[in-house]
Amino acid sequence: MGRLAIPVLAVAIALGAGAASSAAPPKGLVCPNKASWQKLADRIKAPVYCPAWLPDPLVGTIGNRWNNINSVSPDRSYLESFVWQETGGGAAGGELHVNLRGYPGRTTIPICNEINTVNGKTHTVNVPCFADPSGTVRAPGIVATMYTVNQDADQWHVLLAWRHTGGLYTLSEHVAPPLDFDKVVAYLKQELNALVLIKPTA
Amino acid sequence: MKLTRKQVVVGAAAGAIGAAGIYETVDRLTTAPARPPAAEPGPEQHLLGGQSIVRENGAEVIVPPLHHEIVTATVETEDLRDAKQRLEQALAGLEERYPLTPAGLGVTVAWGLPYFRRYVPAPAQTYLPRDRRAEKPALLDAIRFPSDPADTILEQNDVAVLLRSDRLDHIADAEHALFDKTGLFRVTSIRKGFAGGGFDGGTSLPKQMAVAAGVGGADLIPDTAELFMGFTSTLVANLGPDHIANLETLGLALVPDGYFRGGTHMHLSHIAEDLEAWYLNFAYDERVDTMFRPNLKVKPGTQTVPQGPEEVATSAEVVHDYRTLGTIGHSQAIQPSSRLQEDYLGEDGTLYKKGTAIPQRADFNTLDNPFFWSADPKRDRMSTTPAAGVHFVVFNPTSDDFHRNRMAMDGALPDGTKLKFEPHSRGQGFNSVLTTTHRQNFLVPPRRHRSFPLVERL
Repeated sequence: MGRLAIPVLAVAIALGAGAASSAAPPKGLVCPNKASWQKLADRIKAPVYCPAWLPDPLVGTIGNRWNNINSVSPDRSYLESFVWQETGGGAAGGELHVNLRGYPGRTTIPICNEINTVNGKTHTVNVPCFADPSGTVRAPGIVATMYTVNQDADQWHVLLAWRHTGGLYTLSEHVAPPLDFDKVVAYLKQELNALVLIKPTA
Repeated sequence: MKLTRKQVVVGAAAGAIGAAGIYETVDRLTTAPARPPAAEPGPEQHLLGGQSIVRENGAEVIVPPLHHEIVTATVETEDLRDAKQRLEQALAGLEERYPLTPAGLGVTVAWGLPYFRRYVPAPAQTYLPRDRRAEKPALLDAIRFPSDPADTILEQNDVAVLLRSDRLDHIADAEHALFDKTGLFRVTSIRKGFAGGGFDGGTSLPKQMAVAAGVGGADLIPDTAELFMGFTSTLVANLGPDHIANLETLGLALVPDGYFRGGTHMHLSHIAEDLEAWYLNFAYDERVDTMFRPNLKVKPGTQTVPQGPEEVATSAEVVHDYRTLGTIGHSQAIQPSSRLQEDYLGEDGTLYKKGTAIPQRADFNTLDNPFFWSADPKRDRMSTTPAAGVHFVVFNPTSDDFHRNRMAMDGALPDGTKLKFEPHSRGQGFNSVLTTTHRQNFLVPPRRHRSFPLVERL
């Protein structure tokens, strides 16, 4: 049996919580390569969030060696994925994987297709791409909802989602060695506190 | 240094007997619930009286003993008649000290096929019960089921002793009395765990213990969950009523000369639970679907889901969900074999209604990985890192009856229908996050023959 979750267009499922406040962005944070994020913001004609801090060795520069997915869809939603993988055994091996997404012009949770193949027959079920909300995480200018069951590129990730200027934004990280759930949540809080809002050039 | 006989026989387990390790934390996190007074002990060893009942979400739920322990062993004595007498004296002494209730102590002595084959082969041929439906002995060697890993260990212990109490000191006393002082056994493993908490709305033991132990995914366990997996397990309707799992009650087993009448069958296994996979890959609705049955509608966050006779699924419903949705629920798949399919007048004179559960579970949460102590740590793949799991203990009338239930969990229904799933398939329910490490079947004699059964018939 295989399982695959494919994101499709959003339907009207309200985002339970999570909204950006009008607070000023955090001071003293430096986007590692603002130009690359500015280019993205200009391309989608909406604000994007640049990660000023990611766990070592990841660096949040679009186009660098860790940025394995740099994707913009026709609906202007984007996915920026940063991953480090090491296949060595024991302490030498592991994975760090952080996704940043934005869905301009939409505040509803997108719907994914969950595909199960059992005994040669394919069964498709529509499921929310982010599910099982479990609390709120706050950072300057952001009130995010934590989701623990996520799909597609965010599968097996813990995900934070929030709204800003009519758009939905997410930050997620993979629960995989060397990180456990608690450590991922701690990293996500640190990453959320280190997001720098980049507005599109007028 | 010269070792005493006791040190030789009990061996390296001596240091582990009476030790509680992380499980001492249970007593710091919760207090024992009020218990009703004990009734007079009946012929059945496996029944524990005096268990309190609470109501949750409209269903009656048994509040199990806080502490559980299983000690497995091999027999280390040549004088079986003397051993029979000494073990019975030790058991009787415990009964004098503690009432048969969680506030006191429950002791269940179960014997494996290696004991019957090695020590009492001739009377075993005559007196061991036989399963009439399966046309096989009522006690069979454990098997690996389709969803089990190839390296699941099928154990060969002579005896397993289940100890249940709200009091750790009662269990420690029983360990000493039965194993340390008698010197009759070589202990092969000690398995510990806990159950309950959370019924008063406070944070339950599984959550607190898993967090305290630093188990991966512990923070994802619902605060009041009775089990690590997040749902209530000890609903009265989920557990067979008092005598139903006896060998003789449903007429499943022939009991020659009535020797084992009042006895039952016990399956023991250790199952590792991948909590992160469960809570990060299955949304709440999916967890309900896979634990109970697809598309079951319950209020979000519900942990106690009534599973009374009127909710029992049929094989046809299981097949329908498999064909249309590609998935089956755990409870749903088992019910065609674990619940009575029609009213049955039991051998004890009780009319058991259609939909009544047959198995009596006594499973408990554990942080053992996989055991608290093992005489063979390499074989048992022992780790000192705590891990979420369950020591699964269930009483069914026969081995075959348990095997039918477990096969149904893997999609092999009692009517012969086989729903094909790949191992650890998501559609197979919560099997996909469980890994069974050890299994063994045992016969639980009635109380009168609990000590070295059949020795007097040699």
